[in-house]
Amino acid sequence: MTRAHNLARLLPALALLGSAAPGRAVAQRAQWTDVVYVPGRWSAGHIVAQADSLALMMRVDYFSAPPKWRAEIRRTTDGQTLGSPEILVGSGEQAVVVTQLGTTPLDQHALGRDPLVRALVVFDQAGRRKGLANGRITDRAADGKVARVVFRREIRNPSFDSALLDPGNRAGGRTLLASGIAAVGDQRSASVVATAGARGVDRVKTPGGDVPVRPDTMAVVRMEHFSVGSVALEEFLRAGGLGPYAAPGDSAGRRP
Amino acid sequence: MTPSRRAAAFLGAVALLSAVATAPAAGQSLFDRLRQAASVARTLLPISTEKEIEIGRGIAATIAGRFPVSTDAGLTRYVNLVGLTVASQAPRGDITYRFAVLETPIVNAYAAPGGYIFITKGSLDLIRSEAELAGVLAHEVGHVNRRHVIEQIRKSDTMREVKNTLDLQGFVLDRVVGTGANALFTGLSRGDEMEADSLGLEYASSAGYDPGGLAAFIGRLDQHAGEGPVSEFFATHPKPNERVDRLNSIARREGLPGGVMLADRYRATVGH
Repeated sequence: MTRAHNLARLLPALALLGSAAPGRAVAQRAQWTDVVYVPGRWSAGHIVAQADSLALMMRVDYFSAPPKWRAEIRRTTDGQTLGSPEILVGSGEQAVVVTQLGTTPLDQHALGRDPLVRALVVFDQAGRRKGLANGRITDRAADGKVARVVFRREIRNPSFDSALLDPGNRAGGRTLLASGIAAVGDQRSASVVATAGARGVDRVKTPGGDVPVRPDTMAVVRMEHFSVGSVALEEFLRAGGLGPYAAPGDSAGRRP
Repeated sequence: MTPSRRAAAFLGAVALLSAVATAPAAGQSLFDRLRQAASVARTLLPISTEKEIEIGRGIAATIAGRFPVSTDAGLTRYVNLVGLTVASQAPRGDITYRFAVLETPIVNAYAAPGGYIFITKGSLDLIRSEAELAGVLAHEVGHVNRRHVIEQIRKSDTMREVKNTLDLQGFVLDRVVGTGANALFTGLSRGDEMEADSLGLEYASSAGYDPGGLAAFIGRLDQHAGEGPVSEFFATHPKPNERVDRLNSIARREGLPGGVMLADRYRATVGH
């Protein structure tokens, strides 16, 4: 067979792949958040029993393109703050913990001994999510008692870099909790921020004509230092029935 | 050479070739055409997220210079909570969203690049529910996510002076900030506003808010047409009735289900 002949056979196959693969991949991508609670309430850094009360344990942001997936876990140990992300990357039912040093199978990592973390592997062999796309999920122990309650919310139009699903990618926290709640300004002194970069301008155009302004860089510094806290946001969402706590009937997370 | 610089160089070369290949205007020399092409190519320079944030900080300082930023911690906290709730539905993860209230009776909201978002006290006085506030803030998040102000800057004459992004500092950076601030205060394009409306509707609805929030607020503004505090809004945005019709049409077409309005929580926090 000549080279030209080979090329002629190859091109239609490539065209077929090119037209079919992207559509399928886009359709399968999903992104959602699980907020995990257990019965009880937080008291001085411990969970104590209390009827009709749920204690926040972790928030998990999932990114999925079957069979691959990624879970960014932020746990609380005091009910007040959520910690830095711990990252699971998986393919189907298999998961590894991504650390600064590399990857460790979940079974061999300390995280794997936590039943709440093991329960985060919510995928079948093909990497498809098991369970609801949105809503409240209640898991019960063998004795019928509630073991954990999960509030799940799917993001309507998932948009994430496929590199997130690579076990070699240790850059966590591209989601809201990392970027929007703990202000980056916390890590810098006000004087440094105030003098860095653009200063603003002293005259601007408006529909009513030019007006003089005196740029207020310190107001921007105050904005950068303002932080509402991750648990406060979680409480706000829960009280308003928003985000993962929206009633399934009110859910816009599902696709129309 | 980084991929973005390679892309910029490639686009520049394409612009250069196409300019040279086209028929010359009367009296235009090859060098004139080359200079023109080079200036077109320069406007294609990419602006990184880091530079976007730096520009955004300058524009935010300018906005805060025109109207004082509220020091009411409770109100600022509430606006940040609502803003972060809708921003969590937005796909850009490289941006830190920050929200503030401006002490002015003027009705408007502003989105500086890099995630610095402002809403005026005049707007809060007209808003009747958290879903409406969420709709307005989500619209502003949409502007940030689509880099509308940054794109205006890239197309501006100011960028003719910029040979590469390293030039974006000092006096040049201040001029770029001025261009961005002017764009915000005099109004973005109709297309940008419509796109931000669509995105705002999507973000607010996905967060669980009633999808009618933004349309309800814009519709109420129409009832105040001709009044001083809303005149800037009318001068800088497409017609309210047209936007309301379009928002309602999108909500119907997409089959967006009802969400929460949270009017009581809004009243309890904002105080009217």
